[in-house]
Amino acid sequence: MADVSLKGVSKSFRDVAAIRSLDMDIADGEFLVLLGPTGAGKTTTLRLVAGLERADAGSIWIDGRDMTKEPPPARDVTFVFQQYSLYPHMTVYDNIAFPLRSPARRLSEDQVKARVDEVAEMLRIEHKLKNKATALSGGEMQRVAIGRALVRRPAIFLMDEPLSSLDAKLRAELRLELKRIQRELGATILYVTHDQIEAMTMADRIGVLREGALVQIGTPREIYEAPVDAYVAAKLGSPRINLLPRTAFPNVPGPPEAVTIGARTENILFDGAGAASAEGAVDWIEHLGDQNHLHLSVGAHKMVMLAEPDTELAVGDRVHLHLQAPLFFDGDGRRIGA
Amino acid sequence: MARPPRDAHAFPIESIVTDNSILQKGADAVARATPDGVARRVRGLSDRAVAWIFIAPTIILLLAINIFPLIWTIQLSLTNYRANRPNAEVRDVGFRNYERILGNEDIWFSMQTTASFVVLTIAIQTILGFTLAYLIDRKFRGHAFWTTIILIPMMLSPAVVGNFWRFLYQPQIGLFNYVVSFFTGAEPSSFTMLGDVDLAMWAIVIVDTWMWTPYTMLICLAGLRSIPDYIYEAAEVDRASAWRRFWSITLPMALPFVMLAVLFRGIENFKMFDMVNLLTGGGPGSITEVASITLKRQAFEAWRTGYSSAFAIILFVTVFGLGSIYVKALNRVKQR
Repeated sequence: MADVSLKGVSKSFRDVAAIRSLDMDIADGEFLVLLGPTGAGKTTTLRLVAGLERADAGSIWIDGRDMTKEPPPARDVTFVFQQYSLYPHMTVYDNIAFPLRSPARRLSEDQVKARVDEVAEMLRIEHKLKNKATALSGGEMQRVAIGRALVRRPAIFLMDEPLSSLDAKLRAELRLELKRIQRELGATILYVTHDQIEAMTMADRIGVLREGALVQIGTPREIYEAPVDAYVAAKLGSPRINLLPRTAFPNVPGPPEAVTIGARTENILFDGAGAASAEGAVDWIEHLGDQNHLHLSVGAHKMVMLAEPDTELAVGDRVHLHLQAPLFFDGDGRRIGA
Repeated sequence: MARPPRDAHAFPIESIVTDNSILQKGADAVARATPDGVARRVRGLSDRAVAWIFIAPTIILLLAINIFPLIWTIQLSLTNYRANRPNAEVRDVGFRNYERILGNEDIWFSMQTTASFVVLTIAIQTILGFTLAYLIDRKFRGHAFWTTIILIPMMLSPAVVGNFWRFLYQPQIGLFNYVVSFFTGAEPSSFTMLGDVDLAMWAIVIVDTWMWTPYTMLICLAGLRSIPDYIYEAAEVDRASAWRRFWSITLPMALPFVMLAVLFRGIENFKMFDMVNLLTGGGPGSITEVASITLKRQAFEAWRTGYSSAFAIILFVTVFGLGSIYVKALNRVKQR
């Protein structure tokens, strides 16, 4: 395992800047998740670390060595692609064994078998080893792809939205498994996703990217509770954080330069004691079973809050709201106090 | 007025691929899939009848141009019928035509000529075509332009190609002999490609390769293009050398396409007629007399219609059998 360092890395495709002077350090054994919308430069960052793209400027260090100009094989990384990228004409066993059979490695077939069996067991695909790679379900294919990455014990794992093409149930399952495997191996993982749940649940640290630049990097809690700006605040949390004009809540004390006020759904309470922050009307209730999402109108503005599953509120009811730990943003969207 | 037997070189090869039962199954499947309500609304026709009406034109065409001539040819092959003597008595001769063909050394020689022509052209064109496709697939600057240039020979008519290669092979004025002599120093008029017993076959192989390598290249290129980039990237990250990437990814994944090219070229060249007829007419002597030339000579020069029908059937069964075996192998490769 190893650490990774990106120093002032830039990359453009023709006239479009994909990455703008990116600085980032990934510690040995860390699970770093890059989060951002499509086109933010997440995948490009991953491909730069892998050596599948060459940086226009800056340098990339792996395990203390400058790898900026090295080709992929020299970097000792593995890459799990979004599209599985299994070798379709080979069996599952041969797919996983493929990286071990490189002539430079000189492993005996017994050693290869031992390693493949070990990985297959870890991913619970022992019974599929003889299958054709194309005769698997999506979840199994992605497990094989992850297995092919694990079997080599590389310096770094690079994963490009490995779970995005799976259904929700499988995704939740593999999420846990990936985290477990990472803990067991102490692996350094650079993981790209646009799914905030994956980021929140698996990451040691999250890096939020926007238009090729790192907006904020920190632990999931830091990013969730102390986002640097409204963009990052809106990236995490479901339903999304309520971002309303400051003027909608004249009763809430806050800094004078605040233009926007942000309240996470779980931080809006029905007023128990003290003065109400605002008064709202219930527009719609979404029953999720374990909780309810209350859609409210506060003056001309709409917002969403959580409510107990057994709430007796009905559409049209008026409620007194109280904001807890609200976030304040200035005119440029930056959080005040960040 | 009796019609001549089937066109000498047009064996119903298509029937290897076009299986009638597929059509019937298709019609049944359509009939079953049509919702009852829709089916009943069609003016009292049952949904099965509607399905049959839709596929009837195809079946009628198939019967008219494939099945009917085939059956007629089989029938003629059992007689002593001669198309140039329509009023002569036609006698049933049983399988005597077949016996005479299979016992005829000249026929066996022309079959061997065909076999060596097919094997030579396929081997050369596949290797050359795949190599060209591999190079074009590197996507260098102007690769689209070069692809178009390479494809030109294929777009020409075989009659044109045959005629102008005859000029190129002319020992006195031909460009081919001149170019060869330029590189080897041999006198241009010291050899004649089309007139020499040892060179005539090669002359035809060269022309066929010149004309049809682009075709195998095109199919191989489709195969190479079908391999997604990320497979190569995965292999590169997995530290596979360029050599290993070629042997364990490029070749196996493009193999079904390569085999398809071999199948198409094999069938085409088994029935090769036009180019040989134009270039050598089977000569010198009968050195380049491939099966379809023999067939044409028997059918339209000797007018032994029954005899040549039997030969046509033998050729058909041969191609059909070899083709079927090959298609099975191809399917197995595809399923891997």
